[in-house]
Amino acid sequence: MRILLSWLKDFVEINESPRELADALTMAGMAVDAVESEAGETVFEFDITSNRPDAMNHLGMAREVAAIYRRPLRAPCTACAESGPPAASKASVAIQDPDACVRYVGRVFTDVEVRPSPDWMRRRLELCGIRSINSLADLTNYVLLEIGQPTHAFDLDRLAGAAIVVRRARHGETLVTLDGEDRDLTDGHLAICDAEMPVALAGVMGGRATEITAETRNVLLEAAWFRPSVIRNAARGFKLFTEASHRFERGADWNAAPQAADRIAALLARTGPGQVLPGRVDCFPRKPKLSRIRLERAQIRRHLGIQVDDADVEGILSALGFEPSSDKSGWSVPAVSHRLDVERGIDLIEEVARIYGFANIPATLPSVGAAPEPTPQAAEDARMRAAVRGLGYDETIGFAFISSDEAERFGSGDPVSLRNPLSQLWDVMRNSAVPTMVRALEWNLRRNQPFVRLAEFGRVYRRAGASYEEPGVLTLGATGTARQTSWAEPAREVGFYDVKADVAALLAPFLQDAPSIVTEGVPSYYRKKHAAGLRSDGEVLAWFGELDPELARERKIRQAVWVAEIFLERLYVKGLRRPTHGKLPKVPAVSRDFSLLVPDAIDFASITEAVGEMPDLDSVEPVEVFRGKNVPEGSYSLLLRAWWQRLDESLTDEEVNGFAAELRSRLQSRLGIATRT
Amino acid sequence: MSIERKTGRPIGDLIREGDDPEQLYGELRAAFERECSQAVTPQQGQALRDRWLGRRSGLLSATNDHWLKAAPRELKPVVGKLQNLLRRDLEAAVKAAAEATVRERVQAEPDLDTTLPGPERSYGAVHPARLALEEVLDIFRPLGYTVAEGPEIETFYYNFEALNFPPDHPAVDEMDTLFLKDGALLRTHTSPCQIRIMESKSPPLRYVVHGKVYRNDTPDATHSPMFHQLEMFAVDESITFGDLKGTLEHFVRCFFGPQTEARFRPSFFPFTEPSAEVDITCPFCTGSGCRICKQTGFIEVLGCGMIDPNVLRNAGLDPERYQGFAAGFGLDRFAMLKYSIDDIPLMYQGDARFLRQFR
Ligand SMILES: [Zn+2]
Repeated sequence: MRILLSWLKDFVEINESPRELADALTMAGMAVDAVESEAGETVFEFDITSNRPDAMNHLGMAREVAAIYRRPLRAPCTACAESGPPAASKASVAIQDPDACVRYVGRVFTDVEVRPSPDWMRRRLELCGIRSINSLADLTNYVLLEIGQPTHAFDLDRLAGAAIVVRRARHGETLVTLDGEDRDLTDGHLAICDAEMPVALAGVMGGRATEITAETRNVLLEAAWFRPSVIRNAARGFKLFTEASHRFERGADWNAAPQAADRIAALLARTGPGQVLPGRVDCFPRKPKLSRIRLERAQIRRHLGIQVDDADVEGILSALGFEPSSDKSGWSVPAVSHRLDVERGIDLIEEVARIYGFANIPATLPSVGAAPEPTPQAAEDARMRAAVRGLGYDETIGFAFISSDEAERFGSGDPVSLRNPLSQLWDVMRNSAVPTMVRALEWNLRRNQPFVRLAEFGRVYRRAGASYEEPGVLTLGATGTARQTSWAEPAREVGFYDVKADVAALLAPFLQDAPSIVTEGVPSYYRKKHAAGLRSDGEVLAWFGELDPELARERKIRQAVWVAEIFLERLYVKGLRRPTHGKLPKVPAVSRDFSLLVPDAIDFASITEAVGEMPDLDSVEPVEVFRGKNVPEGSYSLLLRAWWQRLDESLTDEEVNGFAAELRSRLQSRLGIATRT
Repeated sequence: MSIERKTGRPIGDLIREGDDPEQLYGELRAAFERECSQAVTPQQGQALRDRWLGRRSGLLSATNDHWLKAAPRELKPVVGKLQNLLRRDLEAAVKAAAEATVRERVQAEPDLDTTLPGPERSYGAVHPARLALEEVLDIFRPLGYTVAEGPEIETFYYNFEALNFPPDHPAVDEMDTLFLKDGALLRTHTSPCQIRIMESKSPPLRYVVHGKVYRNDTPDATHSPMFHQLEMFAVDESITFGDLKGTLEHFVRCFFGPQTEARFRPSFFPFTEPSAEVDITCPFCTGSGCRICKQTGFIEVLGCGMIDPNVLRNAGLDPERYQGFAAGFGLDRFAMLKYSIDDIPLMYQGDARFLRQFR
C-alpha cells in the first residue's frame, strides 16, 4: 500500500521528517517497508496487517498519525453546490437482501463529460500506482485511495427503469463484466440489477452494458456496504480479485459510504463539467447494532503490567475515533463502524498499548511458576544422539513426504495420503524413512563423496483407527570407504559387519541382555542374505543391511549402500539400562583355539548355540573365517577361540583341557563338525 | 623330567633318586638363563617373570614350598641359601632383561614424522536446526520451561479454530496448508500443541513446543514445505506483556549476543492480543546496516503476544482468571542467521559437505 506524505497532510498536521514519521508509524503497528522520494513527493510503502482495512487509505492512515501525535484530524471536504431536481426523482434504489447489502447510497450526476482528469489528481493516482483512465473512473479510484470506500459509476441512461435493485442473482442469469468475461450467475451471487437484469457483480466488478463511456452524460454513483463473506465467495468463485473485493472482503465502513459519495460529488463539482443533483438516495434498511465495549482500568494493568494514565487512555481512544465515557472503574466505549475489528475490552487495550508504545512498557520477568516436568524419553534420546554422533554419523533431516510408489516398496499398510501434494513425488507422508535416506545417499554419490555416514532422527506416519501415529525412527545410511581414507591405514569399503556393529552399539545401552539376530522376515528392500535384524523381548528393534541392488540401480546408484532402521518407539520405552558392577576377575582368562571346517549351511549363530552354556566359559569368538585355497567347496574354515574364566582362582591345564574336549564333543555331536589340529 | 614336574616334587624324593641340592638349583639356573636369552619383547619379559617369580604359581614359589619348606632339617640351611641366592639373581636378571627389551624396542623403531596427519576420526555433525534448538532449550530450561513436541498431523480444530482463526482466514486455504485426504492436515505451526497442553494441564504453565511444521510452499532459496518451529508460552494468573518483553529480551541476548536489542512492533495474529513482532538489532553489523538486514539495522526474528482470551477459553481456561503470553519463530531461520546459511534447501538435502561444517 502506497501512501503519499502530501495527501496525509490534507488531513493532519505533520512536522516530522519522513523518516521519523515512518519509524513512529512502524512502532504503532503500521509497518513502513520503504520511504521513497519520487518527483519531489515522499511515498511510504506500507505493509498493513489484514485486520486493519481501515488503515488502507490516506484518511485512515492520517487517523493513525493523529493518534500517535494527539493532533486533530481534518475530514475531507464534502461541501458541494447541488442543483436541479432531487436525485431521488431521477433514480431509485431497493435492497432485497438487506443481510448481504446493509447500505446502498446512490448519487446522481447529470450533464457530465468524460475527459482526462486534472493533473494534480492524475499525479496522486500515479504515485500510488494507479493508472489514470478518465475523469469519472479516476474520481472513484481517488476516493478509494483517500477514504477506502469502493464506489462504482453506472451510465444512468443505460440502467433500465433508472433503477437499482440489489438482490440475489437468479439461476440462468448472466453478466458480462468489465473485463469482457461472460459470467454465469447463481443465487449464491449478490447482483446489482436494474429493473430487468444484473448490471454488476456486487462489490467485485461492474458490468459492460452500463459502464461509463465517452457518450455518458448522466451517472448513478454507487457507494455501498456488502457483507464480507458474500464478496469473498464471489471473488474466489470467479477468481476475480479487484481493489473493491479486496476492501469489502476485509470489512468496509457503512458510514464511509455516504461520505465517499459526497466526496466524489464535491470533487466532481469542483473539477466538472457536470451537475450534482441534490441529496442522496440512501437505502439503509437495518442499521447494524454496535455494542458498547467495557474497558476496565484494572484490566489494562493486568494485561500490560503498567497503569496507563486515564488521560492517555482517553486521548488515544478519542484520536482513533472512539468516544469513551468514563466511570468509576473504567470506560464504556461504543464500537465504531470504521473499526469493526475492535469488539472487546482486550481489543481496546491493544489499541491503547500500541499507540502508548510497546517501548514504554517496562520489561519484567515472570516467576518460574511450577517445577518443570521432565520431557518423556529425553535421557534416552540424548544418549542415542550422543552415541550416533560418537560413531561418526552426520545428522541429516529430510522431507517427510515420499511418493506412493516408494510407500508401497518401503512401507506397509495404507499410507497417509495428501489431498493437495506439492508434487507426485511427495504425495504421501512417509511410512518408512528409508527412501528419505536413500535420496540423501544418492545426493552425495552424485557429488562424488567417497565417505558418507548419515543419520536421521525422524518420524514415520501411519493410521491408527480414526487417528494417526507418528512413531520415531532412527535411520542410518553408509556408503563408500569404511573410514576416511588415510596414508596410515589401508582403505577398505564399508560393509555389513561395520553397520551391524554400529547398530549393536546403539542398542546396547537399552538392553539387559544381548539382542538376538534375526535372519528371517527381513524387508524386501534389503538385499537377500546381506541384511538382518536385531531382536529383544520378541520385538525387532532394528533392520539393517545393503539396499536391494535392483532398487539402488533404479536410482542410478551402482555401489553398495547400507541402511539401518532403529525403531526408537520400541527402544526408548525400555529406558536406559541401569548398569551394575560385577566383580572383576583376579586371574587372567585362559583361551583355547579350535580350527573347524564348517559346511556353508551352518552359520555362526548355530555354532555358538551348539556350544551352549558351559561352566566357567566366558565367551566364544570367531578369530578367522576363510574360504578358498585348501578349503573344500561348500565349506568354510573357522578358527574359533573360547575363553574360560574363574573369578578367584586359576584354572589348571587339566581343567581347561577337559572343557576343550567337551566343546569339541558338542560340536561333533550336535553339528557333526570335526575339529582339526 | 621337566622342571615343572621337578619343582612340584618334594626335595626329599629327588635326593633319594640321586639329585643333590646344588645340582637341582644349578639345573634351574641353567633353564632360566636359556629362557631369559630368548625373551626379547616386553611381553616375553613379563611372561618370564610370571613363570619364574609369579607370587603364587611361579616356579620359585614351587621350590619354596616343595624344596625349602619340605627339606629335611639337616638340609634346610643349604637349601635356604641356594633358594635365596637363586631368587636374588633371578630378580636381578628379570629386571635387567625387562630394561633391555625396552631399550631394544626403542632402538629398533625409526624416528617418526610427527607432522604427518593421523587417520581422520570425527564426531558426527549435529544438524544446524538441531544445534539451534539445543541452544534455545538451554536458555529456556533454567527459566522453568517444560519441553514438548506434539503431533505433526493435526485436526482443523486444533490448528485453526481453537486458535481463533476466522474460518475464512487466508491461511486456512489449500494455497497455504497441506491437507490429508480425510480432512486432517499437517500442522502449519506448533501452536496447536499450545491448546493440547492447556487442555490437559493446569496453570501455572511454562512450555516450549518445537518440531516440524508444514506449508504448501514449493521449495526455493527462502521457502520450504517443511521446516522447524519453536514456540514458548506461559500461562498464569499474573503474566503481563511486560513479562513477555522481559523474557524475550533475555532470550535474544542469550542467543544472539549480549549487545542485542529487541524492538517490539505491534502486529496481528489471530491467537494473540496485543500481538507484536520482534526485531533485533542486526547481529552482523550491530545495527549500522548491512546486506543481511537490508541496511535497516534490524532483523525481524519472531512473532509474539498475549494469548487471546478466546484461545484460553477454547482450551478450557477461564480468561478472567488466567492470562499468558506466547512467542514463536522458525528454528531454521535462527540457525541460518546464526551460522550464516543463505539457502534453505541446504538444510534438507543431506549434503555431507554441508553437514560436516556442524561437527
Ligand atoms: Zn546488518
